[in-house]
Amino acid sequence: MERSALVDYAKSLDCIHCGLCLRTCPTYQLTGSEPSSPRGRIYLMRAVAEGKLDARDATYREELDFCLVCRHCESVCPAGVRFGEMMETARAGAAQAAPRGALERFARWFGFQVVLPSRFWLSLSIGALRFAQHTGLLKLAASFAGPRKAALLSMSAAPPARERRLLPPTTPARGSKRGEVAVLEGCVMPELFGRVNRATVATLSDIGFESRTAQGHVCCGALHAHNGELEGARELARGTIEHFERLGDSPVVVNSAGCGAHMKAYSHLLEDDPAWKERAQRFSKRVVDFTEFVGAHAPDDWKPAAAGALGKLAYDDPCHLCHGQQIRSQPRALLDRVPGAARVEMDGAESCCGSAGIYSLLRPGDSEAVFASKARAFAACGADVLVTANPGCQMQWEAGLKRAGSSARVVHIAEVLAPTGEREP
Amino acid sequence: MDDQVLDELRAITGDAGLLTDPTRLLAYECDGLALLQQRPACVVLPRTTEECARAMAVLHRAGVAVVGRGAGTGLSGGATPVKDAAIVGLARMRDILELDVANRRARVQAGLVNVDLSFAAEKHGLFYAPDPSSQHACTLGGNVGENSGGPHCFKYGSTNRHVLGLVIVRHDGSVLDLSAAHVDPLGYDLVGLFVGSEGMFGVATEIVVRLMPIQPVVETVLAIFKDLDGACDSVSDVIAAGHEPVALEILDRLTIEAVEASIFAAGYPKDAEAVLLIECEGSEAEVSSSLDEILAVVKRRGAIDVRRARNANERKKLWAGRKGAFGAMGRIAPDLYVADVVVPRTKLRELVLGTTKIARERGLKLSNVFHAGDGNLHPNISYDRRDPDEVKRVLEAGDEIMELVVKAGGSLTGEHGVGLEKQAAMTQVFDGASLRAMCTVRDAWDPERRMNPGKLIPVHACREMRGALRPAP
Repeated sequence: MERSALVDYAKSLDCIHCGLCLRTCPTYQLTGSEPSSPRGRIYLMRAVAEGKLDARDATYREELDFCLVCRHCESVCPAGVRFGEMMETARAGAAQAAPRGALERFARWFGFQVVLPSRFWLSLSIGALRFAQHTGLLKLAASFAGPRKAALLSMSAAPPARERRLLPPTTPARGSKRGEVAVLEGCVMPELFGRVNRATVATLSDIGFESRTAQGHVCCGALHAHNGELEGARELARGTIEHFERLGDSPVVVNSAGCGAHMKAYSHLLEDDPAWKERAQRFSKRVVDFTEFVGAHAPDDWKPAAAGALGKLAYDDPCHLCHGQQIRSQPRALLDRVPGAARVEMDGAESCCGSAGIYSLLRPGDSEAVFASKARAFAACGADVLVTANPGCQMQWEAGLKRAGSSARVVHIAEVLAPTGEREP
Repeated sequence: MDDQVLDELRAITGDAGLLTDPTRLLAYECDGLALLQQRPACVVLPRTTEECARAMAVLHRAGVAVVGRGAGTGLSGGATPVKDAAIVGLARMRDILELDVANRRARVQAGLVNVDLSFAAEKHGLFYAPDPSSQHACTLGGNVGENSGGPHCFKYGSTNRHVLGLVIVRHDGSVLDLSAAHVDPLGYDLVGLFVGSEGMFGVATEIVVRLMPIQPVVETVLAIFKDLDGACDSVSDVIAAGHEPVALEILDRLTIEAVEASIFAAGYPKDAEAVLLIECEGSEAEVSSSLDEILAVVKRRGAIDVRRARNANERKKLWAGRKGAFGAMGRIAPDLYVADVVVPRTKLRELVLGTTKIARERGLKLSNVFHAGDGNLHPNISYDRRDPDEVKRVLEAGDEIMELVVKAGGSLTGEHGVGLEKQAAMTQVFDGASLRAMCTVRDAWDPERRMNPGKLIPVHACREMRGALRPAP
């Protein structure tokens, strides 16, 4: 295989080896080991491109897999190295150079090609999870799960079937309509966090926007790309673009930071596809995070419904919102508009919580180790409610705080901003 | 390296504290000076002074050379591995052991990142003065090794002025505790001697540093020039007039372009030939009177505009641009050679011109960003290490810049240390007797010359003196 396809060599040359990324890297913080830092990983990628290191090397692949792709390093890199994109290419390259074992290949195929893009399979999986959680079957399964035991047992509770429903095709604006938006429902969101989706459209409605969903659309392909399944990711990207083109050219509002960051980067993902390049660019420009949109379009006198019962809030920046989309001030400003909610800052809010897409499932031990410092920071800031803006982070916080025996609540920012009547318990 | 030695080391630091896999070791081939590379034999990552001492004793018995390393951000090759050497890395030793607010000092583990000390001290109205541009990554242990500086060292002095005590693991694993902090050193100033010894006297594991109170008023001003000469002359005039701003920094056009294209864009005007960053601090009255006079000088020297930061945020932005300048040069070319020479401040203009000429003659791209207040120039040469001819020209230019500066009464290094980069040039500054004196001091600390061998002292100078005594790599 061509060495040039194994890593993104041109991007690796942007790194000047200054080391400013080290301190931000969760895996370097855990280990103090330089190959487990962005600078170190880039050095190894460059070695692969220059023929000094074999892309099949087990240690090289381990260092790639160990990375959470939180992209914190990108927020401090003076040379503008696009580390997230480099990781996607390197992971895809390593998988091509040395195919994974049969069982792993099957698991990845089943997860990425069968379950994630399919509403039927997603629904079945979460239904099965609820069944297992309620019957004690999960406890039984967990006892065979070795290192994944704690992670399985502390997983967010799958909601009952009545809550696992899709949004209506259209949610009208409350009062006079100021505009229209398309809303991404997402793959796992309707199954695990239907209430967040409903809070999202209720908030949009409250500020005068009609929301429409892309009927039949399921998955944007973010998890595929982050894990080096680039072909699958491109296919889903093309499907996503088509679905949302049917809704005109209104903004595409996204309440999942990982999906938003990825969809804003479709223009990069499809840049070598002449038939899709321009459509991808047009689509990417439409993508806007929920907090970005509400922050920009809420009327000056808009007040989110009183949240007196919420108490002290701490906002934890999802990596793909603050590092992936450079959105930091909007969610905070919105929370500060909520009457009766006192927001406190948490140390290290911009550090990864260890969720990182499916990382918490693939590497539960490392994920929990990364979470440990977040749990300490949250306890130290004295908040009762943890607010996030991404479903993966929400699950990670729910599970982590449950394990730690904390009674703090974890909510998505849309749940805080939604009109009271729409908020679900 | 011997398997038995590795087993002994692993028993001390645990699996996670010993790296031996060749792929992992590859990432340690170089530090911030990417020109020179050498893979180490292993990397040891102790968590405590005790672990470090036991590991060093093992390495001593095995006769293995030791290269200390913090975050590997140094620019003179101080942490570049030596063949068959073990790296002793401090990256897992980053606790603040004590923050003594009343006595304004802190005791920290040497792997603590410089800026983390400042963040912790800030909560008590204190700060740690030396602030290298790499302060978000570099460790205090590395700062001690290189006697690092930073923009604010113009007023407050480099690391050696701020280190009060050290715990040092010596070459044989014995621990030398020099941490009972006295304001004035009693007896021989071993701590003073150790600071700037570039890892050749031992490995510092704990550091006691001085903290200073944050001043009530801080003002940062950006002066914009249509030519670099005016900026240089301003600095000479400001100092000649007896002012003492905390920092005077110059960035030239190429640097401004790179910074403004980066996430650290500070709002430096892209059509300026140079900007001068001035910071003053003190009481309200002190700052305002001294700044007025400084700005008058600057305008006389041709500044076309001066912009005052209006709040802490704007100030932070102006500094983030300056401190991100080195990394931002990655946009210009894959590699950057950061020279580090000190010139008499009255000769800033002619020496900046001289370095530019040296680079231009060799067809190299040179940019300037420097601590003008100290006369500490950083002529930066952008290059591509894959081009051997260009690498050769870079090295030649570096040598010639050093020669030029020394002739003009300057010095080889302001803050990056000598390391591998400036070793050969040491003979331009020191005569044989001085170099021999250095060797004698070194031998008193490390008679076997196993600590960071082959750095700082020109090898032949020592060999001439001691015949066959060579580092035992």
